[in-house]
Amino acid sequence: MKALIISLLVILSFNFTNTASSAETFFCKDELETLPTQQGGRIKPLYVHATEVMKTLTGKGKQDDVSATVAFCMLSLNGMGLPTENKLMARIDHVDAMKFLGLPEGEHSIAYEALLTREDDIRNEARRTDTAESYKKSMERLFNNVFLYKEVKAGNNWHLAEVQDNSLTWVPLITYLTEEKVIAQKQLTPVDPFLPVLMRSKAVYDQAFGTRYMVELYYAKAGLPTVAMLLSILALASMVLFKNFNIALGFSGLSIVVQIALITLRVIISGRAPITNMYETVLFSGSGALLLGLILGHFKNEKIYVYMGLCYNVCTLMMINFANGMLTATISPLVPVLRDNFWLSTHVTTIILSYGALALSWILANTVLIKRKLGKMTRKEEATHADIIYTTLKWGTTMLAAGIILGGVWADYSWGRFWGWDPKETWSLIVLCFYTAILHGRYTSWIKNDRFMTVTAAAFMSVMMAWFGVNYILASGLHSYGFSEGGAVFLGSFFLAQIIVLVITLNPKDKASEELTPAV
Amino acid sequence: MKKLVNIDWNKVERTIGGLKFAVIIILCFTVAMIIGTFLESYYGTDFANRTVYKTFIFMLIQFGMLMSIIFAAFLRLPPKKRLYGFYTIHAGLIIIGVGSMITYIAGVDGVISLAPNEPNRQVILSKDVLKFTYPEEGKQVTTELPYSAFSKEINQEYEGINVVEYIPFAEGKFVWAEPINSYPEYAPIHSSKYFFKNPFASEEILLTLHPESSSEFLSSQTMGPLTFNYMPKNLAECFALNNPSGIIIWNSERGDCFTPEERNLPVKSTTANNRFVVVPVNGKLITFFPDFSPFPVDTQFQVDQKSTIRSFSKKLFEEKPALFLFGDRLSYYSKDSKKWIVENIELKGKPVSLPWMGAEINLLDHQERFVPFKLPVAVVPIQKNGVVIKGDIRAVRMNILGREYWATNYSPLSLIIGGQKVIIEVTKESLTLPFELALTQFKMDKDPGTNNPASYESFLKLFSDGKMTNHHVFMNNPLKHQGFTFYQASYSQDSGGNYSSTLAVNVDQGRFLKYLGSLMLVLGGIWHYNLNKRKKGAQA
Repeated sequence: MKALIISLLVILSFNFTNTASSAETFFCKDELETLPTQQGGRIKPLYVHATEVMKTLTGKGKQDDVSATVAFCMLSLNGMGLPTENKLMARIDHVDAMKFLGLPEGEHSIAYEALLTREDDIRNEARRTDTAESYKKSMERLFNNVFLYKEVKAGNNWHLAEVQDNSLTWVPLITYLTEEKVIAQKQLTPVDPFLPVLMRSKAVYDQAFGTRYMVELYYAKAGLPTVAMLLSILALASMVLFKNFNIALGFSGLSIVVQIALITLRVIISGRAPITNMYETVLFSGSGALLLGLILGHFKNEKIYVYMGLCYNVCTLMMINFANGMLTATISPLVPVLRDNFWLSTHVTTIILSYGALALSWILANTVLIKRKLGKMTRKEEATHADIIYTTLKWGTTMLAAGIILGGVWADYSWGRFWGWDPKETWSLIVLCFYTAILHGRYTSWIKNDRFMTVTAAAFMSVMMAWFGVNYILASGLHSYGFSEGGAVFLGSFFLAQIIVLVITLNPKDKASEELTPAV
Repeated sequence: MKKLVNIDWNKVERTIGGLKFAVIIILCFTVAMIIGTFLESYYGTDFANRTVYKTFIFMLIQFGMLMSIIFAAFLRLPPKKRLYGFYTIHAGLIIIGVGSMITYIAGVDGVISLAPNEPNRQVILSKDVLKFTYPEEGKQVTTELPYSAFSKEINQEYEGINVVEYIPFAEGKFVWAEPINSYPEYAPIHSSKYFFKNPFASEEILLTLHPESSSEFLSSQTMGPLTFNYMPKNLAECFALNNPSGIIIWNSERGDCFTPEERNLPVKSTTANNRFVVVPVNGKLITFFPDFSPFPVDTQFQVDQKSTIRSFSKKLFEEKPALFLFGDRLSYYSKDSKKWIVENIELKGKPVSLPWMGAEINLLDHQERFVPFKLPVAVVPIQKNGVVIKGDIRAVRMNILGREYWATNYSPLSLIIGGQKVIIEVTKESLTLPFELALTQFKMDKDPGTNNPASYESFLKLFSDGKMTNHHVFMNNPLKHQGFTFYQASYSQDSGGNYSSTLAVNVDQGRFLKYLGSLMLVLGGIWHYNLNKRKKGAQA
């Protein structure tokens, strides 16, 4: 404790002599963002960890005029006995939670400092059994956030590399930053002894393990998802609004390059196939679909494939950029059962690519349905489009079947059973069955071109159910989730929107079916 | 015999092999699966298996699919070149179907639990059975219980035991039951139900001394730092005495007590300052070290765990919050007045305040001789966050000599019928391996700096044909031996911190066919859909 107080004095004295610039940030500077830190079972740059913590706590990375790194560092300084001021605010969205915390209507934020005094109340609320599940969940999240805030504030959340007994260990800031280190450094750099002491942990780590973790810093700072989204939107706009296919192709090419870079960086950082959480599967299926659209468009000499690919690509990139509550970009270690790169990359990749291919059919089917309703679609065009949809369905279904079988073989290899009626397995089979039924039905009089669009658009709902629904709705039972969670709300809105489109575009007369035989 | 109905087999063949039938049967299968997944989400895997996936009707749908696939291929013979892909797909599906049937009929799918250094060869399978064990004869009999989702009448008689009903999903409903055996008037077998409340929590607490009560009802319970200890009611007298030594000698069979001071028995100390007291019982002298054990030691300093005469040292319970309950009286140590307080607690009366953080307690119910019992009642199970939270009791109702008895997966029934002891338990079918496995070590790695498991590994010894071999089983690295395959499935940790490992055990004779069929299906799909350049129409 004595060491802490002395350190504090040193800090203060250093501060007095150096009041000219940024008086409040002490030694917290943006240079610290390159420091390696160990969190959640991984080594990452402090910038990434600080941004994640700030996003968890307040919903945004940058805090007013300071970066996440500086804000994180400042908060951690409290652990050294230095009471820095902060205005970190928790975001409260649940109506009952706002009421409980005594927030006036329309006021969604409350300072963490104020929440600290009510920690026990919040915990008790989270443990109550007689309240709505969604309220409990929001209180639980709030309690966890307060806990994290306390941990950071105690200087225990910032881990630094240090050599102890010839081996590298990770110690929290309060243990790392000792009086002796600072005093020794003061001999060399009397103006600012702290930064060099902290930066030494980077040197120690880099010497032992290299600087591979720095890739993540560049990755996090590059903002590739946003760049890719803008490029894809530009490509789509050039195609649909300005009718300039070559420019669209150029932007699409750029976008796909950016997306491949994004995926590759994630592979380098995590050291595994880029398909281990919702964020990555959405990203991968969107990129895969655009790539497939470009390839098919090239070989079949049909621009519409590029259109389909771009449309879906924009959808996925928007989800990645905006649906942060549902898809988290954080890279974390895998659960043990998934730690097999061969099966993970073959099985999941195949499934996700098949979802991408099926999404192409979904985009085009909806486009045709809407255009037809608006009277902008000739029979001949419709027939051509049906053919194109059929092509994507064939690809999608074959890949899905292959993916399910690969999954079965993996399950057999690591759990000892080929098939176990697990919800994820079952839903992937349900998707396959729906599309198989459509492919078979297309040979009968039941599904002619006009209905084909409707059933194809509708069948994609089963993909969404298998992909998101199993995790967000079925996973822990409908009881516990209700429809309050982000994922469930997203899925519900999706189903609703799709059903509305289907109902509006319903063709009651079946007039097209009389004249055209399926062109397959 | 004259045919009553003339079946046009060609028409049947064309219908079942037709595309419309295919679409209908695929959709039936799909709808059944959708229902299955939602039932699983609500009610748990076992319930979904019993209502959908493992039912006759679901098997029938799958059989219908197989028929549709076979007939469809059959109808399109002799072979046409453009249909080669189609034939491959359908042949693949048929082979997968046959492989799955073989697995279903002949395969083994179970688990084996391995405690550290305890050899085991019993594999637990999924079927529910009722097991009768006659320990004196060394005889074991099992009878299979119906695989259903709802309670089912059985009415089977076995050696005077009439098995009446099986409830696969039950919840215990509290009742007071008649005891099976008879007890002397003085025997301390009473039970009480209390209501404990403090500003943070409130809970109903049932404590019992009845020897027939099932394991869920005990004579002590803890809640946070506080312990509740239920004792024979007469012991309250001795607690009230506040004798200087704080030692009580009591009889667990009769439920009475005295203090050393009452009988002028000196409490002495050993050279190591351990207190002891010598008590004359039926002309014999027995020695207690009350601060160490409630049981006496004999002249050879062997602890006699069977002794009904026991000691009790109140001194041990003066530091931490401990509440002693004696039915309608209670006692606790008051740190303020430095003595044991005994208070009356009226049945259904006012709550008694306790000295810990505004806590208070009521006596809700008290029974002198009835047994607290959870009567199994059939329910639909509820699953939450992947765990069945309601209805995880499997119960069998039996009628033995005109009386009703229950056995569940949690509490087996132990009886003496016609002078012969029998233990009846609801359990799972098991299979004895032709070799033996023992766990030497279980290792769980964690992700650095966190508590998240990174890997589970079991180090095994396998004893087979008089030879011992060492094996290492972990995720994605199973052990194969004599047709059995062992996979790392789960683990558990006992209170002493020792890990046990659970391995999935599997025999699958249909594996090769399933793989072959799968390969054909995928290659056929590529061939049919993506390599046929010509426009095609299977029915045209």
